[in-house]
Amino acid sequence: MIKALFVRETGAGYLLVGLGVISCLLIAIESSTRVLEPVRGVLATLISPIYLIAESPYLLSSTVSDVASSRSQLQEENQQLQRKILELSQISQQYVALKAENDRLRALLGSQGRLPYEVLIAELVGVVPDPNTFQIIIDKGADAGVQVGQAVLDAQGLFGQIVEVGQYTSRVLLVTDADHAVPVQVNRNGVRSIAGGNGSLDVLELENIPVSADIVEGDLVETSGLGGRFPSGYPVGVVHSVVVEPTSTYAEVLVRPSALLDRSRHVLVIFKPQAQVAEQNGDLN
Amino acid sequence: MNPTKGGWLILLTLLIGMLLMVVHFPETWPNWLGWLRPNWLLLILFFWVIELPHRIGLIAIWLLGFLVDGLLAAPLGTNGIILAGVTYVAWRFFERLRMYSVLQQCGVIFLLVAAAEAIRVFVIGISSARQWGITLFTVPLMSMLMWPFVYLILIRLRTGMRVE
Repeated sequence: MIKALFVRETGAGYLLVGLGVISCLLIAIESSTRVLEPVRGVLATLISPIYLIAESPYLLSSTVSDVASSRSQLQEENQQLQRKILELSQISQQYVALKAENDRLRALLGSQGRLPYEVLIAELVGVVPDPNTFQIIIDKGADAGVQVGQAVLDAQGLFGQIVEVGQYTSRVLLVTDADHAVPVQVNRNGVRSIAGGNGSLDVLELENIPVSADIVEGDLVETSGLGGRFPSGYPVGVVHSVVVEPTSTYAEVLVRPSALLDRSRHVLVIFKPQAQVAEQNGDLN
Repeated sequence: MNPTKGGWLILLTLLIGMLLMVVHFPETWPNWLGWLRPNWLLLILFFWVIELPHRIGLIAIWLLGFLVDGLLAAPLGTNGIILAGVTYVAWRFFERLRMYSVLQQCGVIFLLVAAAEAIRVFVIGISSARQWGITLFTVPLMSMLMWPFVYLILIRLRTGMRVE
């Protein structure tokens, strides 16, 4: 009896060491390559029901409030939306004219016209629970054509990018996550930089800005499109503070993100125009 | 006596544990509440291992870890080794742990969860610039405080459903 127990226990010890070694190998593989991405996709599909159940109170509450709201409330909301549409359609009329003009000017300069981006509306269905990372789960996945690396926007600005795709859901890394960075330029004068997250939800940092750079408080920072991952021209944030230490080489520029990172429940996944995707794949090949 | 009785209850409670790991407060509530989340899954697993050590398989738990990795966006294999390690420790000393008073068990829980959190933070730190710090202390503390309640609920379920 005692001997049998002893044998079993040493066996378990070896088994634990073996599993530990496999785990370490997997961690090493994942930290240096992307070969495990399909595996993560399968796992994401398997666990998506858990996220859906965990999020159901919030998903339900919005439905319930729709059902329970009174006629006058709905009418009021309807009127507000009508007004909003009117405003937006006025802006979009201007936009059409501006775009045509811009295309003409670009043609004069001999540069390529910009292609329109297609978008997919997605709803938030989960939040990754670690408070030191900002990631959310959205309800569109591989079956809607979502791919790793696509940019995600909300109504106000750049939200993040897709980092993992399951069959019906995908995971989005928000712009303010410590592991996220996005190439940007200042809307006013085109000064380029990289906006990285620093681990707090409402601050981005512009990296390596020389003290002489022309950036002031209130400047709008938008995606520059360099690097090819994010489409150019979407608002990222507004410069919140510029601190120049006399002793340091770089200015400390903090940006407040435009996107409502902790409020938005509906986001847009940006699809690149097919021509551009083919071009990029051609480059890679 | 049917030796595989009530396996569904073990699975169900582990699933509920995973659910509790991702349920969150409304977004408008302060972010630091996330630091106070106990490691529910580890508590539930610990209970089943010391109560029914023969029902919990090391490899099965290691595989369950992959689902948890997917859930918590941790590198693959992290939670596998954490859960398997906790299972092993609890299983190795289950007779002693069962005899401990609740206070002593709380102490063990604190150490185990702290070790688990340390492994998690270390592994994430390999490939990520995420901050870390206070969770190393708050998560074990909250887990320790929750252990008596988890224990009471699960022991009732176990005796009520006659899981052997």
